[in-house]
Amino acid sequence: MGTISSAFDLISGALNADQSALSIVANNVANANTPGYTEETPNWQENDPVQINGVQYGDGVTETGATSLRDTVLSARLDQQQQMASASSARLTALDSVQALFTPDSGSSSSTAGDIGNDLTGFFSSFTSLEAEPTNASLREEVLTSASTLAGDISNAAASLNTQRSALDEEASGVTSQVNALTSSIAQLNQQIQSTSPNADAGTLEDQRQEDLSQLSQLIGINQVKTENNGLSVTTTSGQLLVSENSSFQLTSGSVSGVTHFFVGTADITSQLTSGGGELGGYLTARDQDIPSALSSLDQLAYGISASVNQLNNTGTDMDGNTGTAANLLYIFNEPTQVAGSALAMSVTMTDPNQIAAAGAGLGTGDNSNAVAMAKLASESLMQPIATTAFSVSQNLNASSPSATSSLEVYDTLGNSYNAAVTYTNQGGSTWDYSISVPDVLTANTSVSGSVSYRFGTGETVNQGTNLTITGNLAGGGTGTITAPTVTSGEAVGTAGPPSTGYVAALDAQIAAAGITGVSVSNTGGVLTISGATGTAGSVIADPAASANATGTLTFNASGALVSPAANVAGITFSGLSDGASALNLDWNLYSTGSAGNITETAAASLQSGASQTGTAGVTNGPTPTGFFSNFVSTLGATVSGVQAENTAQNASVTQLQTQNNALSEVNLNDEASAMSTLERSYQAASQVFTMLNTIMESALNLGTETTVS
Amino acid sequence: MRVDPSYSSNLVTALDQSQSNEQQLTAELSSGVSITSLSQNPVASGENVLLLNQIQQDDSFTQSSSLVTSQLQVADSTLGSVVSQLTQAVSLATSANNGTMNSSDVQSVGNQISGILDEVQSLANTSYQGQYIFAGGQTSTLPFTTSTATLPATTTYNGDNDVNYLETPDGQKIQLNVPGSQIFSASGTNSVFAALNNLVADYSGGTVNPSQAVSDTQALGTALNYVSQQRVVVDNSITQLTAASDAVTSQQTQLTTAQTNLMQADVATVSTQLSLSETQQTALEDVISQLDSQSNSLFSKLQ
Repeated sequence: MGTISSAFDLISGALNADQSALSIVANNVANANTPGYTEETPNWQENDPVQINGVQYGDGVTETGATSLRDTVLSARLDQQQQMASASSARLTALDSVQALFTPDSGSSSSTAGDIGNDLTGFFSSFTSLEAEPTNASLREEVLTSASTLAGDISNAAASLNTQRSALDEEASGVTSQVNALTSSIAQLNQQIQSTSPNADAGTLEDQRQEDLSQLSQLIGINQVKTENNGLSVTTTSGQLLVSENSSFQLTSGSVSGVTHFFVGTADITSQLTSGGGELGGYLTARDQDIPSALSSLDQLAYGISASVNQLNNTGTDMDGNTGTAANLLYIFNEPTQVAGSALAMSVTMTDPNQIAAAGAGLGTGDNSNAVAMAKLASESLMQPIATTAFSVSQNLNASSPSATSSLEVYDTLGNSYNAAVTYTNQGGSTWDYSISVPDVLTANTSVSGSVSYRFGTGETVNQGTNLTITGNLAGGGTGTITAPTVTSGEAVGTAGPPSTGYVAALDAQIAAAGITGVSVSNTGGVLTISGATGTAGSVIADPAASANATGTLTFNASGALVSPAANVAGITFSGLSDGASALNLDWNLYSTGSAGNITETAAASLQSGASQTGTAGVTNGPTPTGFFSNFVSTLGATVSGVQAENTAQNASVTQLQTQNNALSEVNLNDEASAMSTLERSYQAASQVFTMLNTIMESALNLGTETTVS
Repeated sequence: MRVDPSYSSNLVTALDQSQSNEQQLTAELSSGVSITSLSQNPVASGENVLLLNQIQQDDSFTQSSSLVTSQLQVADSTLGSVVSQLTQAVSLATSANNGTMNSSDVQSVGNQISGILDEVQSLANTSYQGQYIFAGGQTSTLPFTTSTATLPATTTYNGDNDVNYLETPDGQKIQLNVPGSQIFSASGTNSVFAALNNLVADYSGGTVNPSQAVSDTQALGTALNYVSQQRVVVDNSITQLTAASDAVTSQQTQLTTAQTNLMQADVATVSTQLSLSETQQTALEDVISQLDSQSNSLFSKLQ
């Protein structure tokens, strides 16, 4: 049987519990604006009942602490989406700066400073004016002025892009210390959580850890893995460990070829971070992909214009009746030696307007045929170094370093660039083997059983320039052949269907359109496999891989002069490089014209220099200078617009997830007011009960008489 | 269902967006240009480069065309003077050849034709803005010089046979000059200077060899006709230039219209969008101020 004193215990317990609950509510209200704070609710637990004489009596209530209102899956999802949104925001900011350099001209004024499109037209139009009066000094001056404007604007744009790239590089490296601070903090919190709350939510500590994870998600792309005892491991999205329970691995940065790379230990994880997400991913994508791509376009434009205008001017007759010679080159622009860097280096070297060769070769100075030809360059294909490629590479060979490699940029007839490598290996004494390789952008693996596999660049993005053809059986008999569709920039490899996506879908569509049956396309980790019908070996055929390396031997005499081969190596050919491109031809000029000149002996008898030479530039069937620029601005605009759309969608998604998370975890003052009100009433009621019990106790002690005990 | 307690921050985000939208629309209205960055309309931005290029090319051709038209007109009027001088020479020679003149009259005719020869040579050496217009490509070389060391005297052409062309934006080639050799010292019986020099020699002694003089007069007549034919070439060029220039101007107008349509802001549309955006902003501001004026939670009701 319960007693009055046990009722006292019960109700004083209730008063304690209410006070605890009220303090939780107070804590919630106090932290209403604390970032990362998760609302807590009191845990009420009914005390175990007591049995007295077979009758069960309740034993009141205990408040056993607070539980944070947390959904870890939702938080992780929010973090993940935040990583993508941060990446696209950072990239968008960078791209906005890039596109600001190429603001569209409204056309309301005839010339807008900094508009390369207008400069191009102005430059070529100056030759149109010169056609009318080829000897007019002011028109000649105008050609040089417009050339300076064009070169200045292209060069400035390239310089600005380089500056933006450096700024991004700095911002990216600044992220390192923030990441390290956060990972250290997470490791520390892991330790505390594991020791204090291995089996349940750790409340405030967990709030802090979640807040650190959110901040880390703004910075880089991460994956979170729960470990035992409420611990947590954090890796980059590609799996590099950053935090493992109570230890963290520092992210370090260092300069590689002039740009900042990121390491964990000795592993270079720059490319992983680039595609991973977070601010750093956005910075790196802009730094390593967007800006280099814009620079490369400007380089091609600058190279094409400089090379073709110089070449043409040098072959005409200038106002003094001269034609360009090696000793007196009539170059308007500084002559580019290679595409890379042409935009930045573009400038006008000609100072005397009389050196503009408006007249054709061997004609009087009043002739205008060369001016006509130069004006027509505006509607001709942009010149690119192709097919027979000019290359200049020099390498000191020294027997003490038995292997040396030089690399150079070469181009095929479609203007695709390749990094050719010339490797020299000492065979003892003054004999060196050389091997020139031009790697295909796609490495092909032709299969024996009617299938072919291609690794499409890095990760799941297709490299441009496939040389793939597929031959298959037609439904009505015979065979049909298709050329793999052109790859668009940044296109994903995609997945096999149905319905298939990405590049796989484009291939599927082309195969279906050709009426080829029994061919399927699949993707395994970026390796695309095209398989023929079962048992029909040879029904799928791929273009051969790029041809094998060109090899040979160089022999020097005791004084370091080259003796073998006795002549220049001509006609080095590489085929099978990319779709539709002719073979790449290299001439390796080991000897200068007329003498064995450019292999020279230097201080040490064993030191010999390798050799090189110039080749010629050719013209592709590419776009005109203005067409090229038009295409460039459209592509840039489309990229920015795409990232904008992506960013808007990702931000909307973040907002949605944030709303869901807030709805669950953020302190809701209405709820707190209501809880407080309820607890207040409950406390009041308990107090009342206590008072009543007191009265009852008083009555009991005085046996109903109002006397001494009151 | 619980709601997000911080919904007002979403309202502020919406307000920011609305303000940024208004800023963009106001910029469009004030500049009159609808595309202020590439990403707003990448395709139009690219197209704009091509259109402006074509417009400027057209503009440049129109300017060049007016420059060369002046030069061609100088050539035309020069050749007109040559024709009238030669006509006078033919008429003088014809009168000298009819056998009625005495010796001094014949010499006088010879002197007059010699004067005409000088005049025609001076016309053939006409320059425009410092450049000889009948010298082919050798525009800084005096095209015609006469040596009197022989009788008849010989006039030599020092220019070349180079012909300049102006290319229209459509690729049409319009001839800009006729080399002096082709007009004045063409081979056969078409040489103006040979005919004039011969006539001067014919009449210099005061006696006339009728058959020689008549033959030389006929040669001058043939040369005169030939000059007239060459003048037609110049006239044709002027006509072609005028026509090409008109066509290009008309094309330029069309292109400018197209470019304007592409790039310029449609004031009516932008104004409507701006008005809508303003309404939205006012509404958002009202909502936010309402929420602020009320107390945000039940706490305000607790006594």
